[in-house]
Amino acid sequence: MIKVSNLSKRIGEVQALDDLSFIAKDGQITGLLGPNGAGKTTCLRTVFGLLQADMGSAEIDGIDVAKSPIEAKQQLGLFPDPFGLYERLSPREYVSYFAELNGLSRVDAKAATAKVLSQLHMDDIADRRCKGFSQGQRMKTALAQAIVHQPTNIILDEPTRGLDVMSTRVLRELLKELKAHGHCVLFSSHVMQEVAALCDQVIVMAQGKVVAIGSPDELCEQTGKDSLEDAFIQLIGTDEGIAA
Amino acid sequence: MISNIMTMLRKELIDAARDKRSVMAGLYYAIGTPLLMCGMFMLLIGQMSSPEDLNIKIENGERAPDLVKYLSSQGITHGDDQDKSLDVKDIRLIFSDDYAAQMAKGLSAEVTLVADNSNEKLQNSIRRLEKNLQTYSAEMGSLRLIARGIDPRVVQPIKVNVEDQATPDSKGGVILGVATMTMIYAVFISGMNLAIDTSAGERERNSLALLLSHPVSTRNIVLAKVLAVTVFAMLGLLLTLIISKLSYSFVPWQELGFTVSISTNFILLMLLIGLPIAIMAASLQLFVSFMAKTFKEAQSYLTLVLIVPMMLSMAASYNIAPDTLQWLPVSGQQQALIAFIKGREIPMLQLLLSSLTTLVIALGLTFAMEKSLKSEKIVFGL
Repeated sequence: MIKVSNLSKRIGEVQALDDLSFIAKDGQITGLLGPNGAGKTTCLRTVFGLLQADMGSAEIDGIDVAKSPIEAKQQLGLFPDPFGLYERLSPREYVSYFAELNGLSRVDAKAATAKVLSQLHMDDIADRRCKGFSQGQRMKTALAQAIVHQPTNIILDEPTRGLDVMSTRVLRELLKELKAHGHCVLFSSHVMQEVAALCDQVIVMAQGKVVAIGSPDELCEQTGKDSLEDAFIQLIGTDEGIAA
Repeated sequence: MISNIMTMLRKELIDAARDKRSVMAGLYYAIGTPLLMCGMFMLLIGQMSSPEDLNIKIENGERAPDLVKYLSSQGITHGDDQDKSLDVKDIRLIFSDDYAAQMAKGLSAEVTLVADNSNEKLQNSIRRLEKNLQTYSAEMGSLRLIARGIDPRVVQPIKVNVEDQATPDSKGGVILGVATMTMIYAVFISGMNLAIDTSAGERERNSLALLLSHPVSTRNIVLAKVLAVTVFAMLGLLLTLIISKLSYSFVPWQELGFTVSISTNFILLMLLIGLPIAIMAASLQLFVSFMAKTFKEAQSYLTLVLIVPMMLSMAASYNIAPDTLQWLPVSGQQQALIAFIKGREIPMLQLLLSSLTTLVIALGLTFAMEKSLKSEKIVFGL
């Protein structure tokens, strides 16, 4: 479970996060939806400990990230934006490296890596060097390292950026499977379609603030609109920064 | 957790070994520099050792047949500079018109030597000629005294015995001093590309943020990187030493009258002394690179920053301000190495102190890096 309480952060002149609070529950897919510049990435970076908030706290499974970063991160898998691969390693080496860093023994890491690579249909590229991979292949590699150690909580920052239809479907299936297994999935996006299709809970963000929280249906009801897109525009007051 | 550090170290080394740029940088230096040094020394030796026959231009040689004969016996003869097959030096020896008359009367006979003394290529030959003229003059002088019934030793009140303590090995020490400088430089160069790649490069490739999101402390991340760069630095040093040992044996040192050899003991000592320097070099390079925003910027910063240790090393090689330098890092250790080469006692106190200072600097930089990786500015290169 990921809990964010009164998170505030100022970056230069901009109030990037403004008294942000929400809970992402286990066994649910929570979407952080907002236009570009809303503070989604900043919020996620604070949750996984890369940034320090000025005020407020972020908890992963009840552990305060700022106070006990190492324990908090042990139940976390991250798909960051942007994500970097180690070009000279193969996906197998890449994924098992991070598996080991998460506490798995060498042997266990190898086994877990093999499993996850099959799951994502990556066996054909598993031993090629990452250099020259297509966007979809790169995404799958980064995704593999996020889930290889079976963390309770998985955070994905703009996971479908630049993906084709097939890869997007693979991702969607994976997230649904994770939810079915009781994991907490939190992902940020500004792509309506994805959010509408996947999320149990949507957190609408704009200018660092939470504007609305609810399931896609609830938000439509709340604003009296038929589609999530229209509901969203209504909620944030402008159609700047959204993709259909 | 030690295992974390080992995991990261393994990955850094595998990744680096596959990076052609880092490997080539180390190899290029380790193999190229000793070979270049040898080539340079061979040229130097060729230039410095005077050939047996010295051809100069003697004018009016017929006025001093005895001196000309003496010079010939010492290998110095008149050469016709129209003859291209002879290497005639631009040195003119002119005998005055009244040379023969002055000699016969027991007075000073004038000889003029015309040459450019600032020309390095002529200096040895000029000195050789001067020396020979002086020897001849002294001989003549003694003969004149004996002819007048005076013992020549009357005008030689002090006889100076020079007992040169320099052994052939210690003379070669100057050259090995310069060679040790290139070896110390190897420590800095061999790991430099890796240091930049694993810090500024890691940030540029967007993998630093991902690494930091895992349950590893910044301390362990920094330690693993420092160790990885140190490994590369030491490997580069080892390779430089081995190639130097092999290539220096091809240089005709004996023509300079001494021997230069890189013994196994020297190699072991160099590796031992080089280790703290390697650790410091690694932490310094990583620290500076993390401060830079991009790979290229890091390269520029490092080139500037590395001037300091290089100046210290150079000063030690050329024996500048030895009393101060023996206590400072890099120069202190290098002076100890040079003392060892010259067969003198190693200044243990200075060596230990400078090595300790080196390690303290390394520790300080590592700690500073650990802290800096917790700051958003460094992680995102803002």
